[in-house]
Amino acid sequence: MSSPTPVDLALERHTLANGLRVVLHRDRRLPLVAINLWYHVGSKNERPGRTGFAHLFEHMLFQGSQNVGTNEHFRYLQQVGGVANGSTWYDRTNYYATLPAHHLDLGLWLESDRMGFLLPAITSENLENQRFVVMNERRQRVDNQPYGRAGERLYELLYPADHPYHWPVIGYMEDIAAATLEEVRDFFRTYYVPNNAVLTLAGDLEPAAALRRIEDWFGEIPRGPEVPPVTAPLPPLGGERRDVLPDDVRLPRVYFGFRAPAYGEPLWYAADLLAAVLAGGKSSLFYRDLVYQRQIAQDIGAYVGPSEAAATFTVISSARPGADIEVLETAISEHLEQVALAPLPEAELERARNKVLTDFYGALQKLDDRADLLSQATTFFDDPGLVAREAERYWQVTAQDVMDYAAAYLAPSERVRVAVVPRDPEAAPGPAALSEGVAVTESAR
Amino acid sequence: MAVDRSGPPPPGEVRPFRFPGFTRRRLASGLTVFAARLPEVPLVSLELVATAGGQFDPPGQPGLATLAASLLDEGTAAQSSMEIAVHIERLGGYLATGADWDVGYLSTGLLSRHHAAGLALLAEVMSSPTFPEWELERLRRQRLAELVRRDHDPSALADERLTQVIYEGTVYAHSLLGTRESVEQLTRDQIVAFYGRHYTLAGTTLIAVGDLDPESFAAEVEAAFGSAPGVPAPALPAIHPRRAGQNGGGRTVHVIDRPGAAQAELRLGHPGVERSHPDYIPLLVMNTLLGGKFTSRINLNLRERHGYTYGASSRFVTRQGPGPFLVGAAVATESTGAAAREVLAELRRIREELVEPAELAETRTYLTGVFPYTAQTIDDIAKRLETLAVFELPDDYFDGYLDRLNAVTREQVREVAERHLDPECIAVVAVGPAEDLARQLEDLGPVEIKSRTAVAAPAVAV
Repeated sequence: MSSPTPVDLALERHTLANGLRVVLHRDRRLPLVAINLWYHVGSKNERPGRTGFAHLFEHMLFQGSQNVGTNEHFRYLQQVGGVANGSTWYDRTNYYATLPAHHLDLGLWLESDRMGFLLPAITSENLENQRFVVMNERRQRVDNQPYGRAGERLYELLYPADHPYHWPVIGYMEDIAAATLEEVRDFFRTYYVPNNAVLTLAGDLEPAAALRRIEDWFGEIPRGPEVPPVTAPLPPLGGERRDVLPDDVRLPRVYFGFRAPAYGEPLWYAADLLAAVLAGGKSSLFYRDLVYQRQIAQDIGAYVGPSEAAATFTVISSARPGADIEVLETAISEHLEQVALAPLPEAELERARNKVLTDFYGALQKLDDRADLLSQATTFFDDPGLVAREAERYWQVTAQDVMDYAAAYLAPSERVRVAVVPRDPEAAPGPAALSEGVAVTESAR
Repeated sequence: MAVDRSGPPPPGEVRPFRFPGFTRRRLASGLTVFAARLPEVPLVSLELVATAGGQFDPPGQPGLATLAASLLDEGTAAQSSMEIAVHIERLGGYLATGADWDVGYLSTGLLSRHHAAGLALLAEVMSSPTFPEWELERLRRQRLAELVRRDHDPSALADERLTQVIYEGTVYAHSLLGTRESVEQLTRDQIVAFYGRHYTLAGTTLIAVGDLDPESFAAEVEAAFGSAPGVPAPALPAIHPRRAGQNGGGRTVHVIDRPGAAQAELRLGHPGVERSHPDYIPLLVMNTLLGGKFTSRINLNLRERHGYTYGASSRFVTRQGPGPFLVGAAVATESTGAAAREVLAELRRIREELVEPAELAETRTYLTGVFPYTAQTIDDIAKRLETLAVFELPDDYFDGYLDRLNAVTREQVREVAERHLDPECIAVVAVGPAEDLARQLEDLGPVEIKSRTAVAAPAVAV
């Protein structure tokens, strides 16, 4: 199939005098409006010993502001049928709410109050409560989760100690415990300024009227100082890093991490397309060979994320009971080594591109997802129009690009491997399961 | 223009929401077809929903419905399992099969220009699956591994134990995936027999949503599935759980030991009501206020007031039969007893005291306002149409839905809470360090402690 035509997104882009960038996208199909605000600050802006701060701070933004009481933020939004949340990632923190369109002003009031008038609500009582909530969030997502520590261990090994992707977004427990009220205030003054933010409105709106309302609510918030840049030098790994994490699990699991170019680079798309070739669907290369035919893996996935300083190419696979995790590791490595040596068949690339395209249209269906993509393109590249052409980027990737990516980034010397193994050897499935799980050689038909 | 920041600004003019139009037809074969046109993105979703859920698992054969469903697309008279996957994935689509408690399903999603290929594939898989032995053995091994993995997932273990306790003696007591014992024993003959009884066109609905023309689509369906009348669908089984109180018990506590766990998984629950119960709408409103949204009583209490958890919620699980009412949270281990007592206090309060008028009003406006948000995507609309099909609701159900929600009164909220919540006969389940949890929970009822492996391999339910 030839390259897809760009999606028709009705867009306007403006910048207020205080530096706030505004994207307006009109779509009147439903009487809803999505309000999506990105601050260009994430765990990348933290420093060792003070990790998890950007995320803890995100929690504080739901604790009220000068004109909004504690717990009132969610209440105001939910009582009109709004769906709202926020999230923190390495490069950014986003806040989003989708509301019935006639409540646009309510959303703008809440969002502007906490951008311009947060400090009176930063109290030690709110901080202590959210500290406990976040500690429980960390336990729920990481410490009490089977395999929960593997992801952060992978990043610790893949990025050097002074690189801002080295530590986890949610932070280490002792750092969450140590955050102080004064640091919360400093963080707000440094990063939560209009000139470090992008506001996207998507949905049932009149662009001219919406822009006037945004001017009204946000225009008087003063521009802040320029945000300190983050430098992230990243020397080659220069040798494989390996670690083993004993955990309370039954099936061993292997995590491979490689680096990839930053999101937006042509080879980033080559890496992402490769991930779809390798593990996107039952007929993908990895699934077909390791899960379906040889049955040494219970599951397998490959992922690349849209991060700004560099990207991470991750392959994760759980071993079948009784299957040797080293056999699984070797099989994955052999496939990855092949990628650099021979071009992938065009049919494989076409399958992956069609999957990317279906997923892309799928992601455009929800107003809040569309708004988030627009904020992302504006925050990273200052161009919301890139969203309409995102799928085309995958049609520009050639088999040679994928080989080039693999040759430059997937060498064993540039690899991190973390294995999660049962802590209690008793828990490992016994020899009966072993004889069942391997040596399956019949044909599929 | 200066704005007044001192309070929430007034709303603008309301533009009402209408649920998208759709057609419902019954074809000569007995197949019912729902079709809705949503042309915004060039995608379609096609789903067959058959009278083939886990509730039909025969005694001693837990997991049969889901295993039969997952084997459906593993080979047809014309194509092997991998040929089917290659065929659909080359088009950028997927084919999925599975079963929940109520129904079995086969669904595909793909670019709309390929919708004819998707429809043909659904018809092929529905009408001529071959259930190859090799694929059965492969899926059996995969499922046994899944069960092994689940033994060490604290959240899944908590759900599993609660279900075992409150549905003891009924088909709902086991996991949809079955038990290790049953999965080892299920045979190809049992699967073929299950398929023959349950995947009949007369008991099946096709739901098609997306960039398609409902008028011409009906003819395409007729051509793909034929018009020979099929055998009638089987009748629904009767499922009668006993409430803990009726067992002569009262409240009971079930602890699963997970030594050294960083947190405890807490559940409280008892059997609820079937989706067709006349109290469904007031129950939905009551539960939303109690534990069904961020600003619900239970979440504000456990998370925002006490900081015990990252989040707590309650729900009535909707099924054709009486699905569970359950409350769940992952809590700091040392707060497990306190958190369970706060949940019980909230259950008692909503049964005994009328809710505040403002609290009810904001729950109704929440449910009203959020309705269009939950009807945005092709899959959202398909899900809603599936609700109409599975629970036998009329075509205009979603037109009157908001009016019915908004008619619910404070008195009704208390009434349905009193009738359907039972804090004195509820099962309390906690997964974590057993000794510590037992000590914290022992004043709530008799405590039973199990190891993880004992949960994973229970006595076979009848």
